[in-house]
Amino acid sequence: MSRAPSKGSATSLELAGGPWAELAALCGEAGDHDRSFLARLLELWCAAAGAAAAGFYVDRCPAAGPLDLELAWGEADFPDELDRAAPPAGLTLLPLAGAALAVLQPAAPSAERRAAEAEPSPLLLLLTLAARDAQLRRRLKEQSFQVNYRGVELEALYDVGLAVAATLDLEQLSEEILLRAVSLLDARRGALYLLGEGQELGRYRAARTFGGEAGAAFAVEDSGLRAFLAGGAPAPAALLPGARHLLGVAIEIEGSPRGLLAVGDKESRRGVGPFPDGDRRTLALFANQAAIALENARLHRQALEKERLERELDLAAEIQRQILPFALPSVPGFELVGWNRPARQVGGDYYDLRLIGESRLSLVVGDVSGKGMAAALLVSTLHSALRLLQGRSGLAPAFFEDLNGHILESGAAKKFITLLVAELEPATGRLAYLNAGHNPGLLLRRDGRVEELRASGLPLGLLPDIRYEARAAHVEPGDLLCIYTDGITEAENPADEEFGLARLTACLAEHRERPLGELVAAIDDATTRFAEGLSQRDDQTVILLRRDLP
Amino acid sequence: MTESLNLSVDRRGDLAVVYTEGYINNQGGEDIAKVAYQLLDEGYKKLLLNLAGTKIVNSIGISILIEIIEKMIEIDGRLGFCCLTPTIEKTFHIMGLAQYARIFPDEPRAVEGLGN
Repeated sequence: MSRAPSKGSATSLELAGGPWAELAALCGEAGDHDRSFLARLLELWCAAAGAAAAGFYVDRCPAAGPLDLELAWGEADFPDELDRAAPPAGLTLLPLAGAALAVLQPAAPSAERRAAEAEPSPLLLLLTLAARDAQLRRRLKEQSFQVNYRGVELEALYDVGLAVAATLDLEQLSEEILLRAVSLLDARRGALYLLGEGQELGRYRAARTFGGEAGAAFAVEDSGLRAFLAGGAPAPAALLPGARHLLGVAIEIEGSPRGLLAVGDKESRRGVGPFPDGDRRTLALFANQAAIALENARLHRQALEKERLERELDLAAEIQRQILPFALPSVPGFELVGWNRPARQVGGDYYDLRLIGESRLSLVVGDVSGKGMAAALLVSTLHSALRLLQGRSGLAPAFFEDLNGHILESGAAKKFITLLVAELEPATGRLAYLNAGHNPGLLLRRDGRVEELRASGLPLGLLPDIRYEARAAHVEPGDLLCIYTDGITEAENPADEEFGLARLTACLAEHRERPLGELVAAIDDATTRFAEGLSQRDDQTVILLRRDLP
Repeated sequence: MTESLNLSVDRRGDLAVVYTEGYINNQGGEDIAKVAYQLLDEGYKKLLLNLAGTKIVNSIGISILIEIIEKMIEIDGRLGFCCLTPTIEKTFHIMGLAQYARIFPDEPRAVEGLGN
């Protein structure tokens, strides 16, 4: 910064004569950005001291380190900063209170001259007052800046409060909170950690980071982390790797942890440093507001997820409705009924009754572990496989062994199927069956004996290389066959007792002469009464077949 | 998320548009000041700072922007800002930047406004 010199009107440091009126006028006109008064003073000083140019330097606010150039006069480039102890070559420094006057002179002044310049004089007095004025203006400006920035802080707190109602997108809200925290505290870096859900419950994971990576996850109970958040211990190194100075506070709802907000490396014009004590309070206030906003967004996301699951279950229920038989086949000499009631919207139970060709009746009951969409899709796969291949392969064990391998490879993790498939030759009453880990089918003989159609292998999809065996029985006139799922026998009452095979068998025996529709209703009634009001926990499926008496 | 500030300049007649992308903090502010003062040295007296790529500014960055505004006033130049996020625009108003520099919603209106 420089100005062309003009001819000065004073020739001595005493400042005798005319400049007073001119200076008074300049002083009266001086505004925030009009520094004519100071420029004129510098010009007068140069004229009096025989200097070519002068730079007026003021202490920083707050005073620290080098002086800052306030104004220069004359044909010379003055540095923006000046080290009071080591001024550049060629510059003579005249110390003032809180300031300094750097003067560029053709030749170094004599000791006598320097002493004379330092002597009290009207011009020196005016320069000293100008220095005081410059310092006050700087301080005022700095304080005004700080007051305004407090306004920004308050506004940020207010805005995050408003975000409770305005922003329900958790991702967007997380970014907004982190950016505001970083900027408010003049941090160089930051991270927002949120409490995990599901398997991550009890751990904080980094939801958003700024200015670098953050550690993957921390246990909420991590003692080092808790001590840091309480304000009395250094931060865990992985919280904001590479940051030298950290500040962090917990995000809590009614004392329950929800996350943590951490910022790193407080910025200033001279670099980065630690966060002052007041920043902890600001960040804590901010985190309080953020907690409410985040909780609101989290609950909203949960509601959306629940809605999505319900839609998915509706769709899966529709798929399953399409799979179960609409109408039962007519088989002369036999009475048939099939019944299913899922415990939830979509169950893992499955049954099928259909004719294969003209000579065989297929009876299938299956139970997929678990419920919901995954179970429904596996049921759908099973249904397709049986429909496509059973007619060709019959009850060949190799078919079921292949099916076992296919289900294992399909990636239906931790899902398996118990299955009882039977094929009846109505003409002879011969019943071939293959039981893969399913509850034993019950064949109630006319004379009251009960034969069980037991499993010959483990459920499908449980282990590789399972071997199965097809077995056979005969359904004689008056015999009753019951194939069911464990939702019947494992129905519970408030005393944690199960309905059990004995009660089912007794119920079948008691009502065996009734039409099969009524017999199924009797089983339903018996299990419901047994449960004494407990809600149904598992899907329930029953197939009944009775051979007519001659 | 970008930590450092990226700058690019588009010189259009007597107007120079400076595009920012990233954090306007101490370093980012200094980078903007360096570019702005260079443009002043080149003779540009109309500067537009397009902050479309900036989501975050801190107090150090603001203080440097104020210094640039003061410099522009000193040389009787014009400085404008455009494409600010609502948060940054509100901050600029509170900090008084809007009193000495014009704020425009988008670049076309800023170019038109600074030209008049």
